[in-house]
Amino acid sequence: MSAVTDRTPPPAVEYDRPEPQLEERSPLVSRIAGRALIVLFSAFMILFILGPLAWLAVHAFATSWTFPNLWPNGWTLHWFGTVFSDPGLGAAVQNSLVISPIVVLCSAVICLPAAYAFARHEFFARRTFLVGLFATNAFPKMGLFATLASLFYALNLMNTVVGIVIVQLLGTIVFMTWIPAAAFSAVPRSLEEAARDAGASKLRVFFRITLPMALPGILVAIVMSFLASFDEAQGTYLVGAPDYFTMPTEMYTLVLNYPKQVAAVFSILLSIPSVVLLLVARKHIMGGQLAEGFQIR
Amino acid sequence: MTVSTARRSRSGTKSLGVRRTPRLSVAGFLMALPPIVLVLLFVGLPVILALGFSLGFTGGLNTVVSLVGQQVHKATDWWGTLAAWADVFGDTQFLTNLAVTVVVTVVSAVVVLGMSIGIGLYLRMRGGWFATMLSGLAVVPLFIPVVIASWAILTFYAGDGFIRSVFASVGLVGPTWGYTVVAIVIGSVWTSLPFAVLMISSGFQSIPDAMIEAAQDAGASRARIAFSILIPMSSVPIVIASTFTAIGVIGSFTVPYFTGPNAPTMLGVMLTSYFTAFNRPQQSIVMAFTIFIVAAAIGAFYVWANFRSAKEQGRA
Repeated sequence: MSAVTDRTPPPAVEYDRPEPQLEERSPLVSRIAGRALIVLFSAFMILFILGPLAWLAVHAFATSWTFPNLWPNGWTLHWFGTVFSDPGLGAAVQNSLVISPIVVLCSAVICLPAAYAFARHEFFARRTFLVGLFATNAFPKMGLFATLASLFYALNLMNTVVGIVIVQLLGTIVFMTWIPAAAFSAVPRSLEEAARDAGASKLRVFFRITLPMALPGILVAIVMSFLASFDEAQGTYLVGAPDYFTMPTEMYTLVLNYPKQVAAVFSILLSIPSVVLLLVARKHIMGGQLAEGFQIR
Repeated sequence: MTVSTARRSRSGTKSLGVRRTPRLSVAGFLMALPPIVLVLLFVGLPVILALGFSLGFTGGLNTVVSLVGQQVHKATDWWGTLAAWADVFGDTQFLTNLAVTVVVTVVSAVVVLGMSIGIGLYLRMRGGWFATMLSGLAVVPLFIPVVIASWAILTFYAGDGFIRSVFASVGLVGPTWGYTVVAIVIGSVWTSLPFAVLMISSGFQSIPDAMIEAAQDAGASRARIAFSILIPMSSVPIVIASTFTAIGVIGSFTVPYFTGPNAPTMLGVMLTSYFTAFNRPQQSIVMAFTIFIVAAAIGAFYVWANFRSAKEQGRA
């Protein structure tokens, strides 16, 4: 598709143009009602999306909280100390930060060549393969892990890092094949051919033209895969516990065993990698790379 | 990583060079194979084993599970036994939870679709920084781990949470949604919204301006432009968004586990407690297949919509 060229200009200015014409036609009352509706909806969205996060974040700094108050009884950084001094929590942070990059790397090595093939080659059962990869998402995760457990026992993968990596890898495959495949196929063939005609080698064409143009899509795939791996809790718990805890699996026990404030502190820590990634990839994810990736071609 | 990519793609383009439109590329097939093999080995094989296990085939790789588990039925006929399925479907609690699961899925999907179509239309027809901010807000949950989101939503709507506190501060008694099905719906909508908004608004954005302007010139109202042009022309992204939302919600565990009641609950939670707490793996797997069958039906709809659009565009 010509998606690359379509997407680049910021649309905001252009769509505003036919506006004055319309405004004249619609009566004042309905215009005000429309405005009010939008303001109301926006207020609802802010409360709905950010409210719970803000409420939880404030808990991290609260000494204690009495029910009908909208504000904590006092402020403290004491709970951060509790989290940082717990060796189990430190190990969980470390495990998460080591395992997730490994998973993303493995996923990229396994899936990116496939993504290129899906975009540029026609081969036996191509469509079936694409749909099959999607189907991995349709089987409920816990049901899959329940059956995966017996296979893992047979292969001696229980309570191993390799086992955890495999479990987390399964959740990244769709992102790492579909999104880059769409990105590769959005690179105009004519550009590649022009470079070939100008005497560039195939390798040079791939690295100087195809790869740089597909890079935003690959970046989005990497971010999504990282988040999928970083978030994965059920399978990791089943395979890793009691030897290996990652941050999300630790969160399950935290919520049950510690005061609310500790879970709040941990939530803030657990959100940091995600928020950093948000800032890095925001433009491309909002720009349609993610949406583009989920349409079968 | 990059080295292997380069080598493979090179051998791939070699076969491309010979014929301009290769019908069947062996190199492409081989490059596509690694993720397929991984999925076949660690998803396909376990699912087949699980189907066998649910029908009472307890040998081979199923031996460990069937030795550890309780109330495991063994195959009585050559094709197995339906005893475990009868166990599950004869249980009224399961049927209640199945109904809850379906209702939560449908309600969440409808709410998510309504909100994301609204945001998408607003972004497409009005634009501006305000609309961009609104859609940016809707994407925030994508970056918050589900565990945290569920926990945050629970505390926000709990008995001592924000909503009740606000009501109490003006002398009213607010609703307690924490540990109820309402909270499950709220959590599901919260976590599903970003993908649907991205998908649907990108569908709207790809509709050419000329089309909307032509309709405006012909005197079409805004509502008419939305319902006769924008929504029908984005039917594929809308179908994709709804199937992904539904499949995501129907098999979810974390959101209902944290925010929902103990009973009735969603099947994702029920099958987990059957597997871990009650140690009845066979019944647990029957439930997994029940979810899978419903999810597969939803998924089939998605595949059908995609292929139909591919045909319309002359790609198939």
